Amino acid sequence: MSGFLSLAVNGQLKEVRAGLTDTLLTVLRDQLLLTAAKRGCNQGVCGACTVLVDGRPQRACLSLAANCEGAEITTLEGLRANKAVVRLQQAFEATGAVQCGFCTPGLIISAHWLLSQNAKPDADAIRAGLCGNLCRCTGYRKIVDAVTAAAAETAP
Amino acid sequence: MSVPGYHRPATVDAAVRLLATAEGARCLAGGATLVAMMNANLAEPQNIVSLAGIAELSGIAEQAGGSLRIGAMTRHRETAGETRLTGTLAVLREAARQIANPVVRNMGTIGGSIAFSDPAADYPPALVAADAEIEIAGAPGRRCVAAVDFFVDWYATALQPGELVTGVLLPVARPGFGIYRKFARVTGDFAIASVALAVARELGGISVRVAIGGCGPKPVRLAEVDAALGRGLGDADAVRDAGERLAAACDPVDDTRATAAYRRLVVPRLLAATLAQAHKSLEGR
Amino acid sequence: MNDLPQAVGAGLRRIDVREKVEGRAQYIADLYRPGMLHGAILGSPHAHARIKSYDIREALAVPGVQCVLTGDEFGDHRMGAFIKDEHAIAKGKVRYVGEPVAAVAAETEAAARLAARLVTVEYEELPAILEPEDALRADAAIIHEELQAYFKVFDAGSHANVCSRTSLVQGDAAAWAACDVVVEGDFTTRPQAHVSLEPCGALAEPEASGRVTVWSANQSVFRVQANVCESLGLPMSQLRCVTPRVGAGFGNKMEAHVQPIVVKLAMASGRPVKLILTREEDFEIVRARHPFKLRAKTGAKRDGTLVAREVEVLLDGGAYADDSPGVLGYSLLMSSGPYRFQYMKAAGTLVYTNKLRFGAFRGFGNPQVSFAGEQQIDEIAGKLGIDPLALREKSMLRAGDRWFGGAKIGSNGLAECIDRVRKASGWKGRGSLKASAPGRKRALGAACTAHISGLLATGAIVRVLEDGSIVLNTGAVDIGQGSDMALSQICAESLKVPVDRVRLASPDTDGSPYNWGTTASRVTYTTGRAVVAAAGEVERQIKAHAAEILECDAIDLELRPGGQVGIVGVPEKAVSFHQISARAHWAKGGPIVGTNSFVYDGPSVDPKRAVGIGVPFPQIGVFAFGALVIDAEVDEATGKVEVLRAWSAVDVGRAINPVSVEGQVEGAFVQGLGLALNEEMVWDGARLVNPSLMDYKVPTSLDVPYEINAIIVEAPEPDGPFGAKGVGEIGINVVPAAIANAIAAASGVRLNHLPLTPERVLRAILGEAG
Repeated sequence: MSGFLSLAVNGQLKEVRAGLTDTLLTVLRDQLLLTAAKRGCNQGVCGACTVLVDGRPQRACLSLAANCEGAEITTLEGLRANKAVVRLQQAFEATGAVQCGFCTPGLIISAHWLLSQNAKPDADAIRAGLCGNLCRCTGYRKIVDAVTAAAAETAP
Repeated sequence: MSVPGYHRPATVDAAVRLLATAEGARCLAGGATLVAMMNANLAEPQNIVSLAGIAELSGIAEQAGGSLRIGAMTRHRETAGETRLTGTLAVLREAARQIANPVVRNMGTIGGSIAFSDPAADYPPALVAADAEIEIAGAPGRRCVAAVDFFVDWYATALQPGELVTGVLLPVARPGFGIYRKFARVTGDFAIASVALAVARELGGISVRVAIGGCGPKPVRLAEVDAALGRGLGDADAVRDAGERLAAACDPVDDTRATAAYRRLVVPRLLAATLAQAHKSLEGR
Repeated sequence: MNDLPQAVGAGLRRIDVREKVEGRAQYIADLYRPGMLHGAILGSPHAHARIKSYDIREALAVPGVQCVLTGDEFGDHRMGAFIKDEHAIAKGKVRYVGEPVAAVAAETEAAARLAARLVTVEYEELPAILEPEDALRADAAIIHEELQAYFKVFDAGSHANVCSRTSLVQGDAAAWAACDVVVEGDFTTRPQAHVSLEPCGALAEPEASGRVTVWSANQSVFRVQANVCESLGLPMSQLRCVTPRVGAGFGNKMEAHVQPIVVKLAMASGRPVKLILTREEDFEIVRARHPFKLRAKTGAKRDGTLVAREVEVLLDGGAYADDSPGVLGYSLLMSSGPYRFQYMKAAGTLVYTNKLRFGAFRGFGNPQVSFAGEQQIDEIAGKLGIDPLALREKSMLRAGDRWFGGAKIGSNGLAECIDRVRKASGWKGRGSLKASAPGRKRALGAACTAHISGLLATGAIVRVLEDGSIVLNTGAVDIGQGSDMALSQICAESLKVPVDRVRLASPDTDGSPYNWGTTASRVTYTTGRAVVAAAGEVERQIKAHAAEILECDAIDLELRPGGQVGIVGVPEKAVSFHQISARAHWAKGGPIVGTNSFVYDGPSVDPKRAVGIGVPFPQIGVFAFGALVIDAEVDEATGKVEVLRAWSAVDVGRAINPVSVEGQVEGAFVQGLGLALNEEMVWDGARLVNPSLMDYKVPTSLDVPYEINAIIVEAPEPDGPFGAKGVGEIGINVVPAAIANAIAAASGVRLNHLPLTPERVLRAILGEAG
């Protein structure tokens, strides 16, 4: 049985259908066609589903859609004009921090939040900040370099 | 606008009433456990009682007398960053800091975590070492249970059907320090074994609380070990004896993270390393 | 001539990355087609059983269900890369827990999954074979009763539960008598799961023409085509296979997963059908890295010269052959390591068991045999008191030498690899490394490796469009490793045009030349070769036009940067690709198309040098080399091993895109860390115990060192594109061995069993068995 929800996604109110067990990830991807957030495990471990909820990274796969009414949800698609995110995206591109790209949207969300909390993190702080996003392709080194590069571009 | 089966009460009493009346009702705190289980078809609640709207469950507040109350919906991130968890209470902050990863720490709550009582979770031994009390609400009313009595068995707590955790009460922080040593396969995994240690500095000596996590249905703590270590934290014989006793009191199982035999083997060694670190703190600071 | 490379050798931003960082990249799960249904699978609860009957009535009654299929709806057709032993869905029999036995297409995923669970199957259980030794027993239940009748692409020697056997022998066994020191040991490794971040999935759509198009997470549109058509009994021309972006492969997407079932559901329902596996299903029904049981023996002279080696392997292939015969053969071929031996014997048996099929996984058996071989080299070095790197250098193969079996080695940068890691790691001073804390022991560990790059068929089509821009079509699937960019760079460099004037056509079995697949570290080398050749053909045609336009001989012409052709030494005489292409389209000659197609033909075994029985691939590839040094610490309280730093030098011939090469070396290293230290798929009887990321752990950013130093060495391969050879796999091969060597140096214990869990390490330190 499902009902209707009004979710604030990327600055817009969206009417969606949801059942009790539907997660935010399912609603974002299947109904709103916001497919940047990925389903890698559906258990909250891999991090590919990470989105911002009220400005903080959360697992969309562990968020019940029904429980998200009233929260501000931001996906990578909604950060297109955000200068800090664009800096990160360009750094990821330039540094070779993207291979298959499946982990990338969730990683950029987590990295964006990390830099908003800590403008000049060292390598250890970056690794700690991103340990909730699995990558199987890169070995993480270039991801750390990309975040370092993006951080270096901001004013000291 | 609503989804059938989803409830978002504004008070604890309303939540308790829903748990009693709504069929197959489960509480939803952070979702880290319940929604993961639902996604894996291990839980199929017909009704979900979200605790997100209950003001009483949020926040960390000082109580009369200087003790701290952590609301059940407090996220791990908040607990990990709480500067008032100082002295002997630091063990709780250290445990929160090592749960999972920064993203999950934005979601998971202390109430949700302990209500599920995964014996490999980080809060149980830390709460035992901190001498915490668990605040419970149910149809008969409110009650408090000491942490050491709250964790009863594998995934079983002192919660009766229809009850929920409303908060964690901590005694006044005592001067000293706390260490939470977590041993896991990879960062963010559940512990293979953990040592939660709270050391209080007193006139003429110290007082020790140590609890072992991940090695049985509930945290392992022995009063005689606490006492012996209080007398001789840096004493090699006392440390070895404590390790043997605690390992013998553990009741670990084989699981995908480690064997029971390995846990018994490694507990005294982890304890010794933790106590060595504590001893250095006592000598150095 | 412009000496500065415009494209090759530059770490240019890859063309596929913009869409990925912006979240616009479309993977299989992101695709939707009008009227699409969702698929679901029912898996077998038994490891070995006959299927007696099905009852699908309850399943069909679920609202939204459009069709329910069982083995009865599939013909008796089989697929398989080496031995065609596998149906699209279980038919007559099930052979592992989780094997698909029924499939449903419905309007919603929930309805499909519900209906799948409602299909009732009656089974007659059979004894399950769970260990390879049990498969060999005379009274063992037979897993593939029709094994003799299966089509096999090579002389496999299949019988009973033996899927294949292979042996390769070179030299005279009398050489053992010349050894002053011999080490022997038994080694085991456990299954590793690929854990590509993207689970497997497929979407098939019937076309108006009656054909079917299928998109899927894949490493080869052509293997998808072959596997689906073979297992469904379809002519290949009936199926068009295309690819979305792929979220990593490492081998698990090279052969079929759910594509045959999804195509059949689409054909049966008449509508598009999409099926994406859950992470748990991805663990349970796709494939994994082989567990190896091997016995190895290595002998040397007192001065450290390697003399003889024997390796014997018992390989558990799981329920279906898949790529296993290849893994057996390749691991034996690689078991010599990059050294000269007077006598080398490698033999092995591959058996069926009632478990998930094991298949291709980065390294393809090399990591497992290297775990044994590279440890034994260190053991010998220890017994002789010789520096382990120096001992390797003494016997290492060089360019022009022959590999075990007789294949000629074209280029060989191993000496430089060893030199670079020795210097970078401070190897000479390793004795004075200090542990980071009391109770920890620290040491450097080293190992060397080689890997092939090549195999099978590939092609390239280079077309010059009317406006002079270039379209390149190779059929090579980029699974994230960067082949789209590397091939574009090769094409651009060949024609001296900017990289952004080369566009890559998406792999499509309709329009792309055959490409065996993205595997065997082959795309840069084999497909790159084809691209160079095809571009050369384009150059010839362009120059033929230019010669007429400029009234000179073609031999006097040169390509100039930016899509121009001119007369050598006469700067003002030039004509653009645009002008030439327009002439070709509208006036003379026809549109310019360059094509090339080849099958790698370097033989793997020279019968004058070695005796091979059941070698599954008559041709193999060119050789890349590597040397690895790691700096590791053992926490002697717990046995946990932490790698602090690593230096991985890889001879890639020529780094087409150095940033991508580093990415492969770094990523392979970390996957190797997981293989070495904690990844293990665990069975409890017939059931996989840890098919989830909660229980099966891969390294996070905090579990790996930041200091993974990829060192690029270039010893150009004579026939490689600009000298390049492949690098996709070599970085993983000796990570477990190097770590084991470091543990031995740090704590004085030898570990012969992977993974090197804290328990295994601690027990070894304490002197206990296990």
